[in-house]
Amino acid sequence: MIEQICSIAEQILADKTVDVVIGYEAGTRGAVRPAFIRSAAEAGRLVWNDACTHNLANYVREKHVSPKKGAPPAKVGVILKACDARALNVLLRDNQAPRADLYLIGVACQGMRQNSGFAGRDLGDLELRCQDCAERVPAGCDVVVGEAPAAGVAPASAIARELDRLAALSPAERQAFWDAEFARCLRCYACRQACPACYCVECTAEQLEPSWIGVAIRTPEKRFFHTMRAYHLAGRCAGCDECARVCPVGVRLDLLNAWFRREIEGTYGYRAGQDATTPAPLASFVPSESLDL
Amino acid sequence: MPDTPFEPRIVGFLCNWCSYAGANLAGTSRIRYEPNIRIIRVPCSGRVDPLFVARAFQEGADGVMVLGCHPGDCHYRDGNYYARRRFNLMHGFLDFLGIDERRLKIDWVSAAEGKRFAQVVSQFTDQVRDLGPATVRQPAVLGG
Repeated sequence: MIEQICSIAEQILADKTVDVVIGYEAGTRGAVRPAFIRSAAEAGRLVWNDACTHNLANYVREKHVSPKKGAPPAKVGVILKACDARALNVLLRDNQAPRADLYLIGVACQGMRQNSGFAGRDLGDLELRCQDCAERVPAGCDVVVGEAPAAGVAPASAIARELDRLAALSPAERQAFWDAEFARCLRCYACRQACPACYCVECTAEQLEPSWIGVAIRTPEKRFFHTMRAYHLAGRCAGCDECARVCPVGVRLDLLNAWFRREIEGTYGYRAGQDATTPAPLASFVPSESLDL
Repeated sequence: MPDTPFEPRIVGFLCNWCSYAGANLAGTSRIRYEPNIRIIRVPCSGRVDPLFVARAFQEGADGVMVLGCHPGDCHYRDGNYYARRRFNLMHGFLDFLGIDERRLKIDWVSAAEGKRFAQVVSQFTDQVRDLGPATVRQPAVLGG
């Protein structure tokens, strides 16, 4: 599989289809990190294994820039799993990069493993999002490497079960749960940085006029930040769960996003990133629809 | 002070073209309604960012109302359709975060419905009074 990925990367760099390929390479101490390959000779650096959990769609906007003033923006090749391809669809739908400037290398994915790439830690189960993933093969790519894995085990639905558990609690208990989660937050904004859909030039979290969120690192400010972050991703979060993965204190951001995904799929039958054309549910409406208020 | 009965603080975002005029009509018609509502005039219910609601709760509101034009009557044609989708979602999200969804009220009140405005506000105020104080009351320290 990795031979195929390398040869595709080598070829598209050699024939100038793209200027840069975003992929994965071996990092330090057995870890995997994003790689930006700019020449065909370097394509051999790419790796593919069950630690390639990063969503590389996040780097597309950053690399799709002009090398010098007046020059057309660089063409970008990017390696995508099924969840990453959905995130990229959101970017395409939001006009963050023209499809013609991108070369999408889809990789059929077996799922990523918890703790993979961390030396000295025991290899865990599949990551939560991977346990429930029904897609596996990315859609809408220029080329897809690998075959869909055989039907695996039934989804564990760990996230869905946690949502159900929270829904059964009283509002006061839910508030206590979230206060405990938010209390750990450091306001480092790693969740925002890791999110492909968080591309605002000026984030509400840092806006000063008006100042939406106080500077204090206390639970009310943190609660507001997380409310804001989650709501801004409503109908746009493709479920790559990068936010939860990069959180240094393990705030359950995946639950906030999953709640919105479930709600929006239930109400509008829409999954973020299902294609690159359907408008976001909160950016569209049907006059005759009836919604509970 | 401890013996003072609980009176909810309610923030109302009212559309300039309908509910705000409806509130005016209620006033000029001398219709009595619960005085707990603090009215904020907005150009359209579509102007109300769901974060306004989150912020109001953070700043100590016990209940929040968003009143706009009836669907189909928006001054800007479709602002209230967007508002409808946003707040349909915000209801559930507040509940998921542990803020009772009955503390948020979205309704449509036209400029001619002064009486209805009074009813909607009074009913909602009673409802929030029964729910008691919101527990998220922790005013922010503002920077910037």
